Formats: sequence, C-alpha cells, structure tokens
Amino acid sequence: MHKVWAVIRREFVERVRQRWFWVMALLGPVFFAGLFFLPLLLARSGGVRHIVVVDGTTSDFGTRVVEVLATGRSFRASRIATGTAVLDSLTGEVGAKRLDGFLIVTDSVFETGQAEYRASNVSSIQAMEELERTLSRLVVKARLERDGVNAAVVDRAQIRIRLDTKKISRGRTTGESAGQSFFLAYIMALLLFITIFAYGANVMSSVLEEKTTRIVEVLISSLKPFQLLLGKVLGVGAVSVFQFLIWGVSARLLLTQRQALVSRMAGEAGSGPGFQMAAIPGTTIAVFLAFFLGGFLLYSSMFAAVGAMSSNEQEARQAQQPVMYMLMISYLSIFGLTNDPNSTLSTTLSFIPFTSPIAMTVRWTAGSLPASDLAVSLGILIAAIIGVTWIASRIYRVGILMTGKRPSMRELVRWVRAA
Amino acid sequence: MTTSILDVDRVTKRFAGHTAVDALSLSVPPGVIYGLLGPNGAGKSTTIRMIMNIYVPDSGAVRLFGTAGTGQDYSARIGYLPEERGLYAKMRVLDVLLFLAEMKGMDRRVARPKAVEWLSRLGLADWRLRKVNELSKGMQQKVQFISTILHEPDLLVMDEPFSGLDPVNSQVLKDTVLDLRRRGKTILLSTHIMEQAEKICDSVCIIARGRKLLDGTLAEVKRTHGGRHVLIGFDGASGDAHRVFADRRLVAKHDGSAQYAELELAPGADAQEILRALVSSGARLSRFEIAEPSLHKIFIDLVGPEAATAAAQPEAEVARA
Repeated sequence: MHKVWAVIRREFVERVRQRWFWVMALLGPVFFAGLFFLPLLLARSGGVRHIVVVDGTTSDFGTRVVEVLATGRSFRASRIATGTAVLDSLTGEVGAKRLDGFLIVTDSVFETGQAEYRASNVSSIQAMEELERTLSRLVVKARLERDGVNAAVVDRAQIRIRLDTKKISRGRTTGESAGQSFFLAYIMALLLFITIFAYGANVMSSVLEEKTTRIVEVLISSLKPFQLLLGKVLGVGAVSVFQFLIWGVSARLLLTQRQALVSRMAGEAGSGPGFQMAAIPGTTIAVFLAFFLGGFLLYSSMFAAVGAMSSNEQEARQAQQPVMYMLMISYLSIFGLTNDPNSTLSTTLSFIPFTSPIAMTVRWTAGSLPASDLAVSLGILIAAIIGVTWIASRIYRVGILMTGKRPSMRELVRWVRAA
Repeated sequence: MTTSILDVDRVTKRFAGHTAVDALSLSVPPGVIYGLLGPNGAGKSTTIRMIMNIYVPDSGAVRLFGTAGTGQDYSARIGYLPEERGLYAKMRVLDVLLFLAEMKGMDRRVARPKAVEWLSRLGLADWRLRKVNELSKGMQQKVQFISTILHEPDLLVMDEPFSGLDPVNSQVLKDTVLDLRRRGKTILLSTHIMEQAEKICDSVCIIARGRKLLDGTLAEVKRTHGGRHVLIGFDGASGDAHRVFADRRLVAKHDGSAQYAELELAPGADAQEILRALVSSGARLSRFEIAEPSLHKIFIDLVGPEAATAAAQPEAEVARA
C-alpha cells in the first residue's frame, strides 16, 4: 500500500507541477467569468447613445420619440427638423464622434412602418430592440389617434409582455428558466467530455512513458501491475478533483462577488438584464461529480490498456479512437437529450455505462428524473467499471512488457484469457 | 543448495514459436560476482526477467534467498538494472531517485541523504535539481545505477551494465561493483564482452540459444575447459609460423593475428617441441607462455563462431506473464 501511495503521489505532484495544469486551472475561471460578464458588457457596450431625431413628419412625432427615449436606458435624443444638407452634416458629426447616430422619421412611418437609423454602432441587439419598441408603440398610438381613439385610452391599453419561464423539476417549481437549464446541461456535458477525455489521455500517456522508457521493468519488479495501474488512475484522478476544486471555488467566488464586481464595472447597481445563473443545486453538483468519477474510472482504465498495447504516441493516438468515439456519442446527443430527456434514445444512453456519465448528468439537469433511474444507472456504471478494469488490467499487464508491433484483436483476447 | 542467494531451477520460457530459455539451471552463492555470459539473443535478458518475476517461466522455478518468494516480494533486497535504460525524462533527478527508492520500500526521508551522497560521489551533486532530460546519456546511466543500489540491496541484478558507458564511467561502475562485493553483496551481471567478465567475475555461466553450456568458478572453468594453451607474441617477422600452427600433431586449434597467437596443444604434444619448431621456422618471438586460456577463447570454442551472432529474434516478444 505504501508503494501504491508513492505512485499516487508521483502522478499527482508531477502533474500539478506541469504548466498545462495551471493553464487549465486558470482558463476555467476566465471562461466562467466570460460567461457571467460578457452578456453584461455587451448589453452595456457604449452605454448611453446620444442621437438626433431628424423629424420629417408633419406632426409632433419627433418630439414624442425624444420624450419616450429619455425614459429608456440606451438613448438620449434631441430633435431637428429635416432640411437640405442636414443629413450630410449629421453624418459628419457621427464621423467626428461628436454624435452616436441619428434617426430619420417621415410621415411614411405611419403607413409602412419604415424608419431609418444611421449610427457608428448598430450591433447592440438590446439597444436596437429598445429603439424599435419605442417607435412601434408611438406609431401604433399615432395611428389609433388618427382613427379617433382617445390618447389616454391608447396609453392605458398598451402593456409590455414579459414571459417568465420556470422549470418544474422533481415536482417542484424551480427558479431556473428553460434557457438556463439547457445552458447548465450543456456546460456540464462539455466539462465532462473535456475532462474525462483529457484525464483519460493523461493516464494513457503516463503508461506509454513508462513503457517506452522501460522504467516499467524496474517498477514491475517492485510492485504488481495492478497496484501500479491503481496508483496511476487514482493519482491522475486526484489531480482532476483538485482541478474541479479550483474551478468550484473560483466559480463560487465569482457568483458571490458578482454584484460587487458588476457595480464596480458599471458604476451603478447591476440591474442589467444580462445572463442570470440560477444557483446550481447541491444534488446536481453531487450527481455531476459522481458521474465524472465513474466516467473517469471507466475510461481511464481503457486508456491505460490502449497505452499499454501501443509502443509510441502515434500508435496510441490511432488506438484510442474507438474509446474516444464511445465518449463522443453521448456528447453529440446532447441536443436530443435536452429536448426530450425521456425519449427512448435518452433513456437508453443514460443506462449504457459508456454513455451514461454524460447522458445521465444531462438528463438529470434538463428534466425531472426519478432517483431510482439515477441509482440504477450508477449501479450499472459501477459494475461496468469493475468489469472493464478487470479486462483492461489484464491487457495492461501483458502489454506494458511487450515490444514490437501492436497486437491484433485475437492476441488481445488471448492476453485477457492467459493472464 | 540452500546456501545460495539465487537458484534458477530448470526454467523454460517460450515466446510465440521459439524457445528463448530452455531448461536453464544456475545457482549463485552469496558474496560473489556472477557473470551470465552469452552471445546476443542467447536468452540472458529473458533469464534475468524471469529472476525478477517480470516474466513468469513456462516451467521451472526461481528461488531467491533460499525461499520460493518472487522478485516483488524481495524488491527491498534486490537492485535491478534493466538492459534498456530509461528514466522519467521530465522529473528532477533527486525526485526520480526518491520515487524509485520508495518503489523498493524505502522511506523518502531515509533515501534523501543517501541519494544526495551517491550523487556527489558520482560527480552529479550539482545536477540533483535538474530534470533528467537535461543530463547527458552517461549521466543518466549513472543516475539509473544509483537507483539500483540506493536501497542497499543484498542482491544486485544488472543486465549488460557496461554497455554504452565510456571508459571512465565504465571504470567507476566496475569499482563500485567490486566495492559492493567487498561489503558482502552478491552481484549477478550479464554481458557478452568476455574481457570484462574475466576481469571482475568470480563465477560464470555461459549460455547460448537458451541452453547452458557450462558454469562454475572462473578458475574451474579455465581448468576443465582450457586444455593446454600457449600464448605467442611475434617480434616483427612471424616467418613460417603458420606451418607450425597447421601441424595437427602439435596444435589442436589456433587463433590470433600477425602479432599474436593463442594455441591449444594437440593431445600428447609437448610445448617445448612447438618452441623449437617456431624458432627453426624463422619466427622472431617476443613472448612464449604456457597459460590458461582466456574466457574469450573458451567462449568461442564452446559457442562456435556461428552461434556468436544472434539467433533471429521474433519481432514481438509476447510474454505470457
């Protein structure tokens, strides 16, 4: 046991010392931060726009637009009556950055709904929506008034609809919106795919290093192949857990400090609509970790066998493809899984151990799922880990000492039987 | 022979279609340097791997320290230097040594001062915090050698320890091995370079094509397999010496060059008669010595020149370990 511990320790320390570990560890929080703040920054990009309303209407429509925009968030406007050379001089102003843009309205807006906005930046979806909404309200109002409807009635009749979506999960209404739960499921599937693959491949290259340098002869003369494999998988597994810990802590810090950071960035209390991350329930995190560990154990022992049967990186990359495809199946099915978490496909994928780590986590996150399904899936996964590790360790223990060409399928079967 | 450190009892190992080691037995007494000699492909490495329990013999048994334990059971008492060298390229030198010492059941804290001491003894003190791949090949070999002896094993098993070493490092290694023997350790080493074996081995076992040809102490081997040998050195002209060598009544076998010859006397022949014949043949002699044969000569005689080249090895060695 002391020797297994030494192997675990070596795998852990050497990996954590490597640069790529810290690159991964730091990129995670940067990625999260991007997710939290990017929508906010985009929404606020440019802040308040100063524009001119070029009024070509025969009514007070331009003045009304200026008044309503002043109550909104994105625009501060002033009115100019249309005339010759007005557009050219305004274009010059925008070019000289003394003005953000200008809105051109004529009487035809009441007939065709057509208006024109020229500006240096027209990419903010939110600002454009605000402008469109304002115009559309005012145009509708003007048209109704023209047909003799009382202006006060029109004002009273208008109401803006906000659709609030809430997910019902396990018989309870949650605070999550549909978008959020898809987003969460997607992020989890992506994380599972990347980390299971990255750390599985780590085990593989570690096996391959010992094999190609023949250190494995010295090691095998000191401890049993299974002990070596165990230490390796646990050591790399510990690195992955450490990685998640770093990500978890930094994500939590970001979430709790979000308000403060946002207000500092925006200069006012963050009331922006941006992306709101619902609090991730503890059970979801537990499910995620359990299936990550299960998936990692299952795949890393297969990757170890692949490393043991190859004699260089190139061969290993080829030989790992079948293993990778198995992992990709569930990742590629994520849209199907989230759209209908209870379809035959989803259910099947979430019980097959090679796809269940990703499929089950996605199903759990995306929809209501009985705990019994979860338990059965986890049970199958554990049984598969035991079976696959048994086979993989037999291939491993013959493979690491073998030199020469890659074994055929028949030889592999013989190794498993003979060992 | 319960006094042996190592007993190999009729072990056989077959790889896909060929027999690498065939019913080989040998016995290594304590406190000696034991040479496992043979041409390339004779089965030396396979034998050593079976001793280390890296390969499991198809039949036969290996006994270590007089019991039936395996290499893993005794890893703390055995140091093993494999034929193909290699270390973790990206690890620091000291960390590699500590890790490998742990694999031998040593505590890190005990291993650390010893590793530092050995590194400075072999001139690597300044390199202990460098990564292995920053070291030269020769330095890496020394590091690997330290890793095999750091835990002070009773039995040292080294597969071709001198291959790839320059003369200076070769000497350092030889001195260290001789020093370990003086301290009562037992050393088993394989080599195909007979001159080296002759200089340091107390006992030898010569194998070819997986079978044992002879074994015993060096003196015994020379006595029983030597026959009567004459070493001759020529001082410039060898005259008609070749005619004397070709005389089967006097000379059974000969081997040598223009300057030097090693003869094996024919049965019943008298060395003095050869001396007379050589002088009258016009050869000028710088040396005429009745001597034991060199190990090299015994080896060539036993193995034959054709077996001295490697038997074809199948590409994939599939171990049924």
